[in-house]
Amino acid sequence: MPVIIKTENLSKIYGGKIKALEDLNIEIEEGEVYGLLGPNGAGKSTTINLLTTRITPTSGTALVGGFDIKKHSMDVRKVIGVVPQDLTTDEDLTGYENLMMVARFYDVPKNLANERIATLLRLVDLEEAASRYVKQYSGGMRKRLELIVGLVHDPKILFLDEPTLGLDVQTRTQMWEYVRDIQKKLNVTIILTSHYLEEVDALANRISIIDHGKILITGTPEGLKESLKGDIVQLTFKNQEDAETMKKFPEATEARDFGPNIVRVTVRNSDEVLPVLIKYVSENNLTIMRMTVQKPSLDEVFLQYTGRDIRQEDAGDVRKMMMNMRRMRR
Amino acid sequence: MSGLAPLTARELKKWYRNPVFLLTGLIQPFFWLALFGSAIDISKFLGGGAATSAAAGVIFQGASNYITFILGGILVITSLFTAMFSGVNIIFDRRLGPMGRFLTSPIRRSSIVFSKILSAMVRILVQVVILIAAAFVIPNGLVLEHGFSLLAGFVLVVTVILVALIFSSIFSVIAVRLKDMNTIFGIVNLVNLPLLFMSYAMFPPDIMASWLADAAKYNPVSWAAESIRTVVINGTVISSQVANVEWWMGSLAILAAGLVLLTYFVAEKEIRD
Ligand SMILES: Nc1ncnc2c1ncn2[C@@H]1O[C@H](COP(=O)(O)OP(=O)(O)O)[C@@H](O)[C@H]1O
Ligand SMILES: [Mg+2]
Repeated sequence: MPVIIKTENLSKIYGGKIKALEDLNIEIEEGEVYGLLGPNGAGKSTTINLLTTRITPTSGTALVGGFDIKKHSMDVRKVIGVVPQDLTTDEDLTGYENLMMVARFYDVPKNLANERIATLLRLVDLEEAASRYVKQYSGGMRKRLELIVGLVHDPKILFLDEPTLGLDVQTRTQMWEYVRDIQKKLNVTIILTSHYLEEVDALANRISIIDHGKILITGTPEGLKESLKGDIVQLTFKNQEDAETMKKFPEATEARDFGPNIVRVTVRNSDEVLPVLIKYVSENNLTIMRMTVQKPSLDEVFLQYTGRDIRQEDAGDVRKMMMNMRRMRR
Repeated sequence: MSGLAPLTARELKKWYRNPVFLLTGLIQPFFWLALFGSAIDISKFLGGGAATSAAAGVIFQGASNYITFILGGILVITSLFTAMFSGVNIIFDRRLGPMGRFLTSPIRRSSIVFSKILSAMVRILVQVVILIAAAFVIPNGLVLEHGFSLLAGFVLVVTVILVALIFSSIFSVIAVRLKDMNTIFGIVNLVNLPLLFMSYAMFPPDIMASWLADAAKYNPVSWAAESIRTVVINGTVISSQVANVEWWMGSLAILAAGLVLLTYFVAEKEIRD
């Protein structure tokens, strides 16, 4: 498959010091659903904003749909569809009017625009609501409308920045269905960001984990899980001495510190290795305070590569989410 | 793919669908007309003996009542206010989200600003028509003693349009890079009263403090108010006023052209995230 997006040392530095994105080098192929996974402030929106020409890079560049984002931003804009993190529809217009206005931005002939709008509205079950003012929409309806506004000109590439941010769990899974439908029926390449693991796991066929403006690893969800080389046993000991002894466990394919008195041990197959591990612990007189076993999952991949639990990020996210919800309701 | 047409359509839809917007835009100038227009009773000057009477006739440029005198000023002020607020309106697109869509669409960035300027012009023309109608209707209202020629109509409409262009441009340029609502509305509040009272919109220069009258000479609001005033009072551009009207309107036109160009370049370059 031909490469449709290619970045070359793409970087964005805010105010001379905040490195929002550093030397991004990725290639995305036509037809892919590429997921950018990372906690808040990782640089996901910055990446999307750069690739969609909303902001300009501090250094480096990218080719999007064959066009340079710096030199030919207008051409880039014509071939991409964007669903930014924040809502963009005009509350004082109806759903249909919003769609038609954007179609006219691209000079889509009126008949064709009407045809496409009808198809898109059907795709996200908004036919009924199309003639209503957007201010009367629920949060979920508004997000669905945002999803199709970026598609009225039949773009080759669709960017979705946190498409389910602030939605409840049910609405989120519903959104995933819509995104899958869009990908299948409209044959677009999708670049999606999220800080929900389940989301990229469910939608993307290739994932990059991003943190502090840098990509830590890229691969398929399966490949990433496999890269963990087995199950992870996390043990908290009474003291660091015990922890050090644990790191010498012979069955471990990998063992490393994970905080004070905490060790993460990777083993091939926890079901078989656990009895051996227990024996090792009692022979060496180690005192375990806490122990968890994790089968490979994206959570574990994330933890492994960023050294942080992505779910901890959710606490700080609540305020942002509430704000977003409030905005959506208004 | 300039995007100017769909964006202007959007602005106008938002305007005529919002009853509050529409009403305040019309009621406010109507109040001005009715209240300010009644503030000074020229007949009291005119009735005060031959000398005062002649003096008042000169001061008020021969207007038969104060509403006739002040109409030009009210039209210009209405135009000024509508233009100012539509210029700074761009901040709402930033705040409420649509800007994010505009920035990634293949439209000219200046279209975002010019759609606001164009829609302001349409709104202002509607307001002008309604205000003139109202001026006729209210008691002791507008008197067109010498009729109203086609040329007078031309002067009135063009002047109003130039005022709209000048002030919506100035405030668009100010609002393009500002992200804080308080700053913008602070600026609007800071300048609107000086613009208004340091001009000949409400009062004739001869009864103003001389420093104020001197300062007002350089205010485009004065030029516009005086242009419209002379055609309203005299029914056309009378020969003694030809040079004045040419000077006022010429200055307004040059100013408007310069500001529109400036707006274009600033908008194309400076509308960013
Ligand atoms: N306009 C801006 N000015 C200054 N810093 C910014 C700006 N936008 C983003 N940042 C910073 O850049 C970093 C990456 O932000 P962002 O790309 O929005 O993260 P994400 O979308 O992954 O949550 C953060 O530290 C954020 O504070
Ligand atoms: Mg973001």
